[in-house]
Amino acid sequence: MNRDSLSSHCDKNGSTQEIILDKVLEREIKLSKNIQSKLLNASPPSLVGAEVSGTSHPARLIGGDYFDFYPLTNGKTRIVIGDVMGKGIPAAMIMILTRSAFRTASGSTQGPGDALAAMNKAIYEDLRVLKSFVTLFCADWDPEKRVLTYANAGHNLPLFINGKKNLVKEIPKVNGIMVGGLPNQVYKEESLQLEELDTIFFYTDGIIEARNKDGDQYKLERLIQTLLDNKFLTLGEIEKYVTSSVKQFTVGVPQRDDITMVLLRVNKIE
Amino acid sequence: MCSIEKGDWEENNMELTIYKEVQGETTIFKLEGILDITTSKVIEPYLNSFSDMKVLILDFSDLEFIDSTGIGSIMEAIYLSQEKNFILKLTGINESIHEVFKTVGLYQILDKIHEAEI
Repeated sequence: MNRDSLSSHCDKNGSTQEIILDKVLEREIKLSKNIQSKLLNASPPSLVGAEVSGTSHPARLIGGDYFDFYPLTNGKTRIVIGDVMGKGIPAAMIMILTRSAFRTASGSTQGPGDALAAMNKAIYEDLRVLKSFVTLFCADWDPEKRVLTYANAGHNLPLFINGKKNLVKEIPKVNGIMVGGLPNQVYKEESLQLEELDTIFFYTDGIIEARNKDGDQYKLERLIQTLLDNKFLTLGEIEKYVTSSVKQFTVGVPQRDDITMVLLRVNKIE
Repeated sequence: MCSIEKGDWEENNMELTIYKEVQGETTIFKLEGILDITTSKVIEPYLNSFSDMKVLILDFSDLEFIDSTGIGSIMEAIYLSQEKNFILKLTGINESIHEVFKTVGLYQILDKIHEAEI
């Protein structure tokens, strides 16, 4: 509904018009939240040899974090997680732009590095005009070789949770500039051999940068400990424990940034 | 010649104060507090008012935290340095902010744009 059509419902009183406009805006924001929530929280795909799960908690009604899965024609599955600059509705609009670029790129590119390069090429100009950027981490899961091949566009590195040892650490480093930072970027790829029950924890910085009333941050060390303490739980339970651990840490301080996590776990060999 | 001005923005107990110091053809913006979505708007008029200078120094010595919107503001300063042809220097960066800048590729963008100017 636009402003003109609204006016026919309004009386002479300006405040009534404002109230109606507020209600329309509120309804549209709720609808936008619903759209984003449905796009983000669609059922994760069934993978061969592994399982995946993902969840996102925006700081405001809607947010700029993003994750997605895309089945590739070669039997692999592509996973992406990203964080759009800013928060709220402006970030959510750019998140949708990013999602379209990811899906288009994944249909026509070989590896995760190519996908990030294609995405940067597709949306760089738009992001410059909008004075925004997106950090993205993209990975291809190969069920046959149990290898994760990945590339990074300015995002924090996912964590590797060893299925057999009491060990959680960042995966081997690969660098790359955020999408929207510079044109014509090439993104290097790295690979990681996974074993049964190994888990990869992809996340956005809203987790480790969550602050309590004293201004202290949750930090990577606390996240690693939370993952160590809960590594034998199901993926959904780990997501819940991480979320509640962050809430317990911030005790009542409003969430300031979107929080998103994606987990990939290699199945046990029967 | 040296002059110092102060501007600040406070909202929800989160504060950013910018101290502007002019030394000849160099301007220094010293950022104190938090540069995030609630405070980043305060830096824009400072950057937009910057003209006829050869060097801009952004001093992060007293900056406690920066989020993605804050990084966006620094990126705008980098692009502005290209557009208005001045040298931008980032100083006093603490370890955690340095890690964030390194992760997102901010230094690479700064290097690339300076390289293009040379």
